[in-house]
Amino acid sequence: MHKVKSSSHLRTFIFIGFILFLISNRVDELRVYQGIQVAVYVVGISSLILLTGYSGQVSLGHGALLAIGGYSAAVAKNIYQIPTPLTFVVAVLITAFAGAILGIAAARLSGPYLAGTTLTLAIAIPSIANQFKVFGGEQGLLFDVGFPPLSLGEDFTQYKWFFWIAAACALISTWFVKNILGSRYGRTWRAIRSNDVAAELSGISIARSKILAFTISAGVAGLAGALLAMSISTVSPSAFPLALSFSLLTGAVLSGLSTLSGVIIGSVILVAIPELADVVAHRIGSSEAVVTNLPGFMVSALLILTILLAPNGPVEQMRAHKAHKAHKT
Amino acid sequence: MDRKNRAKLITASAVIAMASLVLSAIPAQAREVGVSATEIKFGMTVPMTGSASLGYNKIPGAVKAYFDYLNENGGVNGRNLKLVVKDDRYVPMEAISKTLELILKDKVMALLAPLGTSNNIAIASSVNPGRRGIPVLFVNTGFSGFANQKKYPTTYAILPSYIMEAKIMGAYIKENFAGKKLGLLYQDDDFGSDALAGFKQAGIEFAVKVPYASGSQGTATAPGWITKLQAGGAEVVVLFGVTTASIFALSVAAALKFAPQWILGSVGGDATTIKLAGVPAGILFNAVGSSFAPATTDTTDEYVKLFSEIYAKAVPGSAFDNNVMVGMNTAFITAQAVKAAGANPTRKSLMAAINAKGANFASAGLVPLNFSSTSRVGYNGFWFGKYSSAGDLKPVDGKYVVYTTDSGAGAVVKSTYKRPAMPAKGLPN
Repeated sequence: MHKVKSSSHLRTFIFIGFILFLISNRVDELRVYQGIQVAVYVVGISSLILLTGYSGQVSLGHGALLAIGGYSAAVAKNIYQIPTPLTFVVAVLITAFAGAILGIAAARLSGPYLAGTTLTLAIAIPSIANQFKVFGGEQGLLFDVGFPPLSLGEDFTQYKWFFWIAAACALISTWFVKNILGSRYGRTWRAIRSNDVAAELSGISIARSKILAFTISAGVAGLAGALLAMSISTVSPSAFPLALSFSLLTGAVLSGLSTLSGVIIGSVILVAIPELADVVAHRIGSSEAVVTNLPGFMVSALLILTILLAPNGPVEQMRAHKAHKAHKT
Repeated sequence: MDRKNRAKLITASAVIAMASLVLSAIPAQAREVGVSATEIKFGMTVPMTGSASLGYNKIPGAVKAYFDYLNENGGVNGRNLKLVVKDDRYVPMEAISKTLELILKDKVMALLAPLGTSNNIAIASSVNPGRRGIPVLFVNTGFSGFANQKKYPTTYAILPSYIMEAKIMGAYIKENFAGKKLGLLYQDDDFGSDALAGFKQAGIEFAVKVPYASGSQGTATAPGWITKLQAGGAEVVVLFGVTTASIFALSVAAALKFAPQWILGSVGGDATTIKLAGVPAGILFNAVGSSFAPATTDTTDEYVKLFSEIYAKAVPGSAFDNNVMVGMNTAFITAQAVKAAGANPTRKSLMAAINAKGANFASAGLVPLNFSSTSRVGYNGFWFGKYSSAGDLKPVDGKYVVYTTDSGAGAVVKSTYKRPAMPAKGLPN
């Protein structure tokens, strides 16, 4: 039964990939770049949903894990001359290792203490990167994944190439996360989130499960970091500000923390809001102050509305609504 | 076919041929991206919101104020100059997406004064305006690398580099504080390492050096800096860091009764940011500072007088400070570049005009511009002054003494540069 579900997931993801491929050939470079941003957010938010939504461990500093992934990929490429595809694997492995260490500490913490620890990490990691010459200081390091293969044609742009890589990675990682959440590990994490005492009484090792969740989540976040670095062709401390961690958390809440299906919604909102706000502000001829502050205001308003009206996210809300309707009839 | 019909056919063929020629010539006469019959568009990415926006978010308003003034006076060759501003929140990923918006959606002719070292590096590597042939005029950072024409073929620097600044500061220290015990408080990253390289070239030895990590400046760390400087017996302390570091260092030093002669770098001596942070500008009193533009309080300076009048009209109630001065000056230089690029400017002719005539453009700077076909360096020097109790930087004894140098091994010299008179009404001629 599980195998059938998994292969049906795979078919869905391949179909989505085909649709994305078609879209990427029909939109301009700006939309393609925004597509890359969406893909980065999809990977980043899904890793946060796995950690916070499923295993119940709050992370306010997921941007730090993205930073570890981005820097790992850039160092692997620039210093160790590792082939580009492997740099993404290196990013995943190193960040997963860092996540495992963090997970050991996190297993002893919970609630606000864990939130505080991860927040500190988000502030500290970029500053630490600034301290070592190997990380290139404030200017950071270049991360050049190279030009697209010539076989794709001369008109095939760099950003389309980035988009294909990012979209493929996003699809594979989401498929992986979706499957793992549906596996016994996912069920274990949900049990811990719901009631850790009951879970422990059922024979679940809380510490081991939490460390595993942190490790896998960090690995996925590392991939997001490497993709982010690819999209901007560099890594630098300012590429991973505290605001990135908050954006990921905002995206996760907008997506619905306890369901992976809405991850694309949160990601698209994060990318679309600034442009939408710009259009709205210019249509109504607002002042400079309104233009600059409107995106922040719109995201905040959406966040509040989501928490009030659809606390489990829009997808879960729709499912509940449908189930309620079906029950009535 | 009779003769009459043949003649008709020949005439028709000739007309069609002529029409084809005319039509085929139209694309050749088509205007450059961002240039219409009435307008030329420039695009700027700058932090308008977020922690890095303090002070810098006044720059777009300053550029627009000058452009509006210029446009009211007929624009450049009948075209108005327009600035499209995008908030990048000082985040490279945002800077790239906003730059793409400027290029692909707003279709600007050139990027103007994008701010920040890492953002500019990310834009150059990812969007690659150099490969696209898009001019990046007057980047707002002191990173010396942007003058590398091979790496950044369409980028023009304008601010003196941090290495130049440290070299010049070193010469000033030797001249004015010889024999004093020197201390250095610096940001421990590329910004600070550029400074260390410059001081080394200037032959300056510090008795005590205190590095701080970028972002670590605060009430918890500042007492440690000051204690170390105090214990080292520093009589003159150079502060080569950002303005927030200046705020904490100067405030804590005052509280601990440590009163050396402070020398602030151009980045860390921004009185406006200090005031906007809610700290009295008086903490800067008597510190030495440097600038390449005239003192913003010097209303005897023709540029300060004109620019402050234009700005007061455009943005009432907003203080005329160094960020505004630099923004309006950048706009003024841009207008001259457009004028020099001819009646129908293109991206190529704009860059060719700066290469050929940029060194002779009029500007508010008391330091020469150094543009040429082989140089993308803008200003290359500073004058030194002292801060008043109101936080205004004024030249010592009211006289501007300008020092110039390069980012390499060149000597620091006292400049004999005489700034050309401002063109009539501050408009490009």
